[in-house]
Amino acid sequence: MVLLDHIASGLIYSSIIVLGSIGLSLIYSIADFANFAHGDTMTIGAYSSFVAFGAVGGLGGAVLGLPLGFFVALLAGIAVAAVVAVLTEKVVYEGMDLDSIGMLITSIGIAFVYRAVVQMWFGADAVRYDIQALRPIDWLLPYGIRVTQHDVAIVVSAAVLVTGLHVLLQYSDLGRKMRAMADNPDLARVSGIRTDRIKLWTWVIGAGLAGAGGVFLGLYNLLTPRMGFDLLLLIFAAVILGGIGSVYGAMAGALLIGMIHELTPLLSQLGRVLPFLPESFGLPIGNQYGSAIAFVIMVVVLLFRPQGIAGEAV
Amino acid sequence: MDDIDRRTLLKLTGGVGLAGLAGCVSTTDEGDGGDGGSDGGSDGGDGGDGGSDDGDGSDGGSDGGDSTATETAGGGDGGSGPYEIGMVDSLTGSLSAFGERNQRGKELALETVNEVGIDGRELAINVEDSGSENQGGISAAQKLVNQDGVPFLIGSVGSGVSLAIYESVVQDTDVVQLSQNSTGLGLTDFPGLLRMSPTGRTQSTALSNIIADDGYDTVAVTYVNNNYGQSLADAFVEAWDGEVAYNQPHDQDQQSYSGVVSEMNSSGADAWLFVTYQAEFATMVNEIYSSGYEAQLYGADSVSGDDVLSNTPEGSMDGMKIVVPSAPVEQDNYTEFATRFEEEFGDSPTSWSAYAYDCVVNAALAIQAADEFTGAALQETVREVSRPEGEKVTTYEAAHDILADGGGPSDVDYQGVSGPIDFDENGDPVGFLQILTVENHDYTGTGFIES
Repeated sequence: MVLLDHIASGLIYSSIIVLGSIGLSLIYSIADFANFAHGDTMTIGAYSSFVAFGAVGGLGGAVLGLPLGFFVALLAGIAVAAVVAVLTEKVVYEGMDLDSIGMLITSIGIAFVYRAVVQMWFGADAVRYDIQALRPIDWLLPYGIRVTQHDVAIVVSAAVLVTGLHVLLQYSDLGRKMRAMADNPDLARVSGIRTDRIKLWTWVIGAGLAGAGGVFLGLYNLLTPRMGFDLLLLIFAAVILGGIGSVYGAMAGALLIGMIHELTPLLSQLGRVLPFLPESFGLPIGNQYGSAIAFVIMVVVLLFRPQGIAGEAV
Repeated sequence: MDDIDRRTLLKLTGGVGLAGLAGCVSTTDEGDGGDGGSDGGSDGGDGGDGGSDDGDGSDGGSDGGDSTATETAGGGDGGSGPYEIGMVDSLTGSLSAFGERNQRGKELALETVNEVGIDGRELAINVEDSGSENQGGISAAQKLVNQDGVPFLIGSVGSGVSLAIYESVVQDTDVVQLSQNSTGLGLTDFPGLLRMSPTGRTQSTALSNIIADDGYDTVAVTYVNNNYGQSLADAFVEAWDGEVAYNQPHDQDQQSYSGVVSEMNSSGADAWLFVTYQAEFATMVNEIYSSGYEAQLYGADSVSGDDVLSNTPEGSMDGMKIVVPSAPVEQDNYTEFATRFEEEFGDSPTSWSAYAYDCVVNAALAIQAADEFTGAALQETVREVSRPEGEKVTTYEAAHDILADGGGPSDVDYQGVSGPIDFDENGDPVGFLQILTVENHDYTGTGFIES
């Protein structure tokens, strides 16, 4: 019973992390640096959709407890995040003649800029979407699962976006070129692929997914200028665990990290979950150590599989 | 090749992670301070009424600096220009919401003081930003004390920051330090460090009495994982006679607290106590609501505010009881302060603005009462001007007139807009608390408790 509830919340949290980690991994494999501004790109997506939702309103109708206007706002959030990322690439990253470490540090600076702009605009206080909060879904309560329709919407939307990306990568021309470029940029360029254009598309897709992740994070929780940055460390853990540069690895890693993070409370009540143990049995590890445990597991996996879950062995 | 990249990246990520952790640590410190501050963040939060706390103690810092080594003669000394004092505030960083309120209170107070003047001279305040971090606070204080040479330092918001400033900058000088918003319990151990906001211990005791009076014998407690949260929670557990079914910290700035609330629920306690900040608490309330848990909620002052009200669903907290440091709102000088504040800023003040206001007024009176504009002289007067055995006055002007007519520091007992002040030997003001109950998704004052 307790287990199901924790798995459900793990799934929801994972969905958000997945959306963030795919973009990070994509950009790493194609633009060739770890983008520390990725978390704040999520924040930008969230706040953009907050503004858009304020402007368009609910628009009537409702899907899974969310007015149609919210989905319009979601698209706006995705679009703005993508535009901001492309502009940043054009203005800042593209002209930088730095190695990947230099780019990484630059992106940390960009992260601060993003966050500062959001904070100047919206202040440091939290805001939330003007959407009626929901109570848990009734028919799931007997199973001990306490999720709202909004939570379901987050998981479903993330699944749709991830499936869309999968189709794009596997079956479209752009996807093939992206994979070619990720494998070997020089070879891709000699074979006639316009790599700079592919790079821009990568930014659009990666930042767009991050924007969507930000919107759902805002729906799941509240919008604060630090929201994306606070999640970034977990996203990095997911990406590295999955095998940096691998999109499918990032998905697997995100699922694992999100689950571990949300399942941590079970450690202190193991007796209730596992058979053959006294009811009161539990490890004295509180849930405030969720992130630490997620990282410990990441380290353990990497010790045995240094290339990550889906990374290619060297 | 690829492999090397990955390794480098791992290392870097680790490094950044560490940096992040380091950040957390310092945040925590601020956090302490924040307690007090948390209300501050939400101006309206207290509903104006609740918001006004009385800090009793604006004066007290005399113990603080023993040593007279540092030159503290401020810019104003001896001249005819303004008296310059310093203020370290959280203009940016996690406690910036409080900082903003503080600045508003400070501006109003400066206006009040400079309308009358200090024996013909004006008061000027150099404000430096702490970034809500210990290190930022220390550099800000060093700049003010060592370069600008201010003899009187108002600062800071976070208890951790206030303590850091005191220990690394102020302790061995005769500079007077008066914290505007720190409520951490630890500050009581530093008599030289004065504060305008009462210690959090008064809240813990009050909360344990209220919960017991409401008929609960089992309670689940969660607190923000820093000095503020821990000290308040510890003080609560000390004061609480019943069973504590759950007592765990949670980290700040997490994007999910569903683990915490589900554990509180499984603990079986019907009374849940939260010692945390507004953003964290708002998240928890949303999770309690969306998980359909039912419990009687209690909270320390830092969980109340506009941020929480506007970010939680209607009816999700009804019946919750919160204890906040507060001034009796019917007090005339407070209502006057509140009216002026609303005219100026279009917002009702919180106690945190009122504390900052009283800090400035108390400083101005101390300067006027002192023989010279030095830290040593101000140490002698800062507590006296708002301590009993003088004539009770509620405005700066009235206090100024007594001093101008030849009265000594102990002839005045300034009653602040945040309360009677009356610093005790530890530099703490007299505590005065209000119980707020959430009704129709708004805070309603339902009684006062004296500490």
